[in-house]
Amino acid sequence: MSNKDHELIQTMFPPDGSGLKPYEWMVNPTRQQQWIDNQGVFLWLAFFFSEIGAGLYFVSLFYEFKAGLVLGWLITLVLGGVIHILYLGNPLRAWRMLMKPNTSELSRGIWIIGVFAALGFVQIITSGGFNIVLNIIMGILCLLIITHGFATMNVIRALPAWSSTMVLPLSVISGVWVGHQLLQFMFAASKPAEMAAGMEVWAEVFFFAYVLCIVLYVWGTYHSNEIGKASILMQVTGELKRISLIGVAGLGVGLPLILTLIMWGGDTNAFWIFLRLASVIAGDLAVRYVIMKSAVYKPLLTRQ
Amino acid sequence: MPRWGMVIDVKRCIACWGCTIACKEEHFLPPGVFFNRVLIGETGKFPSSSKLIYPILCNHCSDAACVEACPTGATYVREDGIVAIDDKKCVGCRACLVACPYQQRTYYDQKVKSKEYFPGQGKTEMELIGEKLYPFKLGTVIKCNFCSERIEAGLKKGLTPGKDEDASPACVNICPVNARVFGDLDDPNSEINRMIMENKGKQLRKEFGTEPAVYYID
Repeated sequence: MSNKDHELIQTMFPPDGSGLKPYEWMVNPTRQQQWIDNQGVFLWLAFFFSEIGAGLYFVSLFYEFKAGLVLGWLITLVLGGVIHILYLGNPLRAWRMLMKPNTSELSRGIWIIGVFAALGFVQIITSGGFNIVLNIIMGILCLLIITHGFATMNVIRALPAWSSTMVLPLSVISGVWVGHQLLQFMFAASKPAEMAAGMEVWAEVFFFAYVLCIVLYVWGTYHSNEIGKASILMQVTGELKRISLIGVAGLGVGLPLILTLIMWGGDTNAFWIFLRLASVIAGDLAVRYVIMKSAVYKPLLTRQ
Repeated sequence: MPRWGMVIDVKRCIACWGCTIACKEEHFLPPGVFFNRVLIGETGKFPSSSKLIYPILCNHCSDAACVEACPTGATYVREDGIVAIDDKKCVGCRACLVACPYQQRTYYDQKVKSKEYFPGQGKTEMELIGEKLYPFKLGTVIKCNFCSERIEAGLKKGLTPGKDEDASPACVNICPVNARVFGDLDDPNSEINRMIMENKGKQLRKEFGTEPAVYYID
């Protein structure tokens, strides 16, 4: 076969399955590609940064820690926002995404981020920013931003791996958990040791809630329908097995579990906290990656 | 105002891919982009297995998941029921593409645009003319539009979509076995409604609740 023939075949039938096999398209469960493959990784990162930035902001509200607010605000807007815009085909038209909050989850998210940006800025620059009303409003906005990414995915009924009931609880807990870890590390690095040690009891609660959410997500999606089952099998035994094993089970659950047990009862130190933070961030990235990557559509024709 | 729809009699379809090719010609679609596909599957187990042949296109749903998902209003349902895309409003977020349970949308980017039918030999005159006659905007999503330009031009001439070729979608015109019937779903006396009622036409994946305007008779 000549190079030109080979190139023609690559054009018509790319190995990633994105090309034409007209008689096979959607005949078997078909994986969604737009929001994770190639440029789609931007969206994965954007959702992640928005979530952890809002998580850090949320937890910082309880400790009235302004540096946490500033960092959380910046992560959400600069990293989450900019990366999100980079994903768009026409970034200069991004303002148009404000136009349809009545039906589009994506549009609602942009509004929420806009309000968060404005009120967050006010809270950060004013000396009396930590008043109860503003705290409550910002807390609610943070929770909405934390869930924004997964909520956008959750409304897509055609993808059982995303429309699972446990996707939103998992999203909330993971955002708060990673945000808590960021703040605990900031405390460990800049405040008296008692501050970070005092946060450990909540670290234990969030960690076990996070693990519970992962388990319930896997169990619930597996038993939801055949397509949900196919998604979970792809995560656990299929092409995502390695990422699930190392990223989710190892870095997201295993290592944090060991470190949490080592620091049980508040026996913390900055190095262990840093190690757990790095592990939790990598683990959460892996969780999001496998959920986004394993979503498959129900075939239009069912081949038995 | 009519509500355009289509009935596809899968018992008649011979999988000649005429609709696929006619659609590509009509819209000058680049390699790898299809607004019409013919899916081939099997059902049952040997010796009682049977082959399934389903021509698939955008279902022009009246409660379309893509329209709900679109954050800008670029994807919308026209008064005549056709789901259209305003490429001036599309930001290329691809939310519609992910939301569509039928996966009949394509993201048109530089990678798609630069594909040649004869790789390495440059674009043919036909491809270059197509880019001028039927330009797609980079960074937007494209899909079947029920050949709305043919319908509109035909209506202006006083023709009837579904009956007159010049006012009907290319895939309907080309079908050699008349497996496709196009017409007004809101007209109780139309051919399309008669076929749906007499043959108990089914919508594909009705469980998603999108109310497709494409019906299948099998």
